[in-house]
Order: sequence, then C-alpha cells, then structure tokens
Amino acid sequence: MNMAWKEIKKSKAKFIILGSIIFLVSFLTFIISGLANGLSQDNAALIKDLPKGHFYMNADAKETYNLSKIDAGVQDQALQDHKDAAAFSIQMGFVNDAEDKQHSVAFVTSTDSKLFENVAPGEIVLDRSLEKDGIKVGDVLTNNQFSGTFKVTGFVDQKKYSHAPVAFIHMDNYKEIYRVNNMQLLFIPAQDQAPSITGLQSFSTSQFLNTISSYKAEQMSLNMIIWFLVAISGMLFAIFFYMMNVQKIGLYGILKAIGVKTSTLFRMMWSQMFFITIIALVLSVALSQGFSLIAPEGMPFHLTLDTTLLLSILFLVIGFIGATLSGIQIKKVEPLQAIQQGDM
Amino acid sequence: MTTFTIHDVTKTFTNGEVEEQVLNGINLTLQEGELTALVGASGSGKSTLLTIAAGLQRASDGQVQFEGNNLIAMTQEEIRKIRASKFGFVFQSAHLVPFLTVEDQLMLMLDVSESKMTKREQQAEVTKILNMVDMNHRKDAYPSSLSGGEKQRVAIARAIIHRPKILFADEPTASLDSKRSRDVMTLIRDLTKTLNITTLMVTHDEEMLSYADHIITMKDGLIV
Repeated sequence: MNMAWKEIKKSKAKFIILGSIIFLVSFLTFIISGLANGLSQDNAALIKDLPKGHFYMNADAKETYNLSKIDAGVQDQALQDHKDAAAFSIQMGFVNDAEDKQHSVAFVTSTDSKLFENVAPGEIVLDRSLEKDGIKVGDVLTNNQFSGTFKVTGFVDQKKYSHAPVAFIHMDNYKEIYRVNNMQLLFIPAQDQAPSITGLQSFSTSQFLNTISSYKAEQMSLNMIIWFLVAISGMLFAIFFYMMNVQKIGLYGILKAIGVKTSTLFRMMWSQMFFITIIALVLSVALSQGFSLIAPEGMPFHLTLDTTLLLSILFLVIGFIGATLSGIQIKKVEPLQAIQQGDM
Repeated sequence: MTTFTIHDVTKTFTNGEVEEQVLNGINLTLQEGELTALVGASGSGKSTLLTIAAGLQRASDGQVQFEGNNLIAMTQEEIRKIRASKFGFVFQSAHLVPFLTVEDQLMLMLDVSESKMTKREQQAEVTKILNMVDMNHRKDAYPSSLSGGEKQRVAIARAIIHRPKILFADEPTASLDSKRSRDVMTLIRDLTKTLNITTLMVTHDEEMLSYADHIITMKDGLIV
C-alpha cells in the first residue's frame, strides 16, 4: 500500500507548505546561480570559452598576468613545439568613436592562432555588445595612445573580459599603445598534463581565472550564497521532517507494534521527500529558465542545463540526507511507548 | 487445544540503582477459541505480562512458547514477523492511522501480514470483516469522522483481518461508555469463538469479565 501518497493526499496543506518552501529556496538558488554564471561569463568569457588547456605566465610574475612578460625566445620555442599554442596579452583600455564617445574595452592581441581573432594592423574586431552602442562595421575608432586609427571589420559574440567588451587588435598596434615588446600569456590547448616550460608557471583554466582578483571575489561571494541556500534547504528538510516525525512518533510505534517494518516507514518518508522535491524542482527549473527570457536587458543571467541538473541532484541528495537524519527517531521509537500514549 | 504457554516469566525494571520486580514467575496457558481476562489492581503487572506475551518487550527470564518457539529467544525481526502475521492487537485507544480510510486500515494490515490473497480476494475479505463489525457502511471514512465506538470496532477489524492466532487486547473498552463497551466486548467474544482465536485481554472493568472464559487475577506480579 502506498502510505506515502495516501498521507500526502490527506494532509495536502502540510506538504504544500514544505513544497513551497523548497520551491522558493531552489528557485532563489537557480536565479543566483544564473547570475553567478552570467557574471562569470561577463567577467571572463574570453578565457572560459577557450578549449581545455593550460595557461602560462612568468614564474616571477607573482601569479599576476599584468606583471608577466614572456621571453621572446621561450615563446618562439613553445609555439614551435606546440602547433596549436598561442601567446596573447590583455589590457584594459578604451576606444573613441566618430562622435568622440568613449567605450571601455579589453584590448586583446595574440600570435597567429585559431583561438583568437586574427586582425590586420589598423583593424579591430569587437564584441557584439558594442554594436548595440551604435558602432558599425566600417566605423573608424581611435585611442589616445595610438597614432593611427582602427577600422571596425567585424563583431564576435560573447567575448568579454572584466565586464568589458573585448577588442581584438593586431600585435603591432598593441605594442604601440602599451609600449611593450613581450606577450603576457601563453596558452597550450588540449594537453592533459601541463608541459613544463623553463621559467614559466602553468595554470589550469580555473586556476588562471582565480588569479584574476575581481573574478575570484565575485564568484566566491555568489558561490557562498548558493552553498548557503543549498545548506539551508537541507536544514529545512531535516527540520520539517523532524517536526512531522515528532508528531507521528505514536503512529510509528503503533505501526511497528502491528508488524510494519522500520524500512517501510523510512521508504514512506523518502518517497514523500522525493515527491515534494521533484515537483518543487520542476517548477523552479521551469520558472528560472523562463526568467532568462524575461530578465532585464543587460542583466548577466546565464543558467546552463549542466548547472541546473547539478543543483537539482544536489537538492535531492541534501533533502535525502536531511530527511534521513530526522528519521533516526523512527528507528528509535518503541512500540510500547506508543501504546501507552493516547490516541493520535 | 493449547496454543500459547508462559513459563516462569519474570520482569525486573531497573531505575538507577533501584530494581523493581514487576513479574515474579508467571505461568499461564491459553487455549484456542477462548477469551482469557487478566485482572488486577493498577501496578499488579497485568499490562506488562500482556506486552511480554505479545513480544512488545522482553522478559528478564522465563519462556513464552508459541507454536514451538520461545519468543524471548527470538530476534526482533523474527518477533516482528510473528506480530505481523500471527498476532492481532487492540489497544486502549483505537490508534488508527489518521490518513487512511477504514478500508485502507484493513488493507494495510493485509499488506503487513504479507497476505497471499489477490487484490480482489483482499477486497472481499475486508468487506466481510467490516460487515462482521458492522462498519462496512463507513469504509470510506477517515478516523477523524468516526465516533469512539466506531474507531474501536475498526481497530478490532484491523486486529483480526489477517486471521491471527492470538488476539491481545489491552483495556479495549477503557475509552468507551458502558453501552459501547458491551458492544465491543460482545464483538471480541463472538470473533474469538467464530474465528477460533485465542484472546488474552487486560481489563480493570469487572463488568467485562462476564464475557471471558477464564479470569486470571494478578497481584504484586503474581497470579493469585
């Protein structure tokens, strides 16, 4: 007999309250997770969208890419040894349009590579967000540190760095603007083990992202909120089922007295937990996915299916643990105690 | 025919350094199709004896023999199986499951006893037993809408639906008025005879003793 379902049917209000709380907590978690991911994309899509690989910077750059200068000889050798590798540099700056309106950008230049946009001297390829600011292909842009002009030759999607649109420029133009001769970083894709290069320190993508202080601080704060919400939902399950179990101690005792197995009582509690959580999750996933469609323009909201799935599984696991911990009372309950109490 | 025997059962409760002997060597034999009433003053040990006999707590010493097995030497799981399939219980309060209808209370007991009946046979059995206790017209009702007497009749139906060998009744009329008490006792006695069940009942109500085949009086943990 499906006692779990029969109880849900009879005590709808009780289970709707728990389901609503789980729905609200999970919905909030999905929204914050979407924002964290969106901000992460906004902060470092340029890096995150690169294929799996390893980043290198000077060993004495104190893990700060801005301080890194890769020796030209080392760079040449590395590019020769690894044919898909690329050396690149990133610096924050700005460009002025024809109306002298300033636009913040992250200038990126690289050696000849399929991983980055290859542009000729005097040309610039911009992130598409600048197109919304009124810049068009063929426009001429300037920079006060650059003697020439940049002609816009195209736009690319989702190329952001430090919340600024990326501007791909030629290496010679970059060197003139920033008065540097060396590249800051080296990227070698598709290597399980980071090849050792003398004088350079290697970083995985996540390690490299964490060297960007703004990225690390931002993600840490948001992830902390997410984990708090997940922990709170676990506690909610534990508390709610604890309260329900306390109310049902007498009933459990009687059921045990007439021969119901303890495992049957646990299964009943687990099925109720899974039923409520799955319904709450289906609703919150649907709404949070819908939120991405109605999110205000410019809000960095990006909720991937992977994240949704991972968080959903986490909620189920946490709910299971919370309910099980509270269910320890079921194991302890003595039929005799229940019989000696009054009616339930 | 003898179905249940209790030999030299003792029970001692320890509270800190204080030991209290509640049962002092009880010997008792129950016969099939007979209703045995245990009476005695409060604290005489009658309820403790009933719960030990029903496998709900263990004796300190002695034997509880049922179908050739000593309950006291059995594991919890073995005792649970016996409680589920061979014993029936009626308590002071009905102790019905609040979220199950009258019909479901009985279906649950058939599930618990791992009945081999098909769903249709189970349904027929439930109807039959509910008719016996005159509750079939309330089969879709939840406990909250039943009167005290109706609840107790459902509790009796739940206790016998799986055709137990022994029915343990702990003050089954304690929460009922005298008319309902008589109705419930008539029902227990009739079912004991009709279904050939061995019934052990604890009561403090002398009026109910007229329904018993045997009356056993307890005093200070002994049968007198």
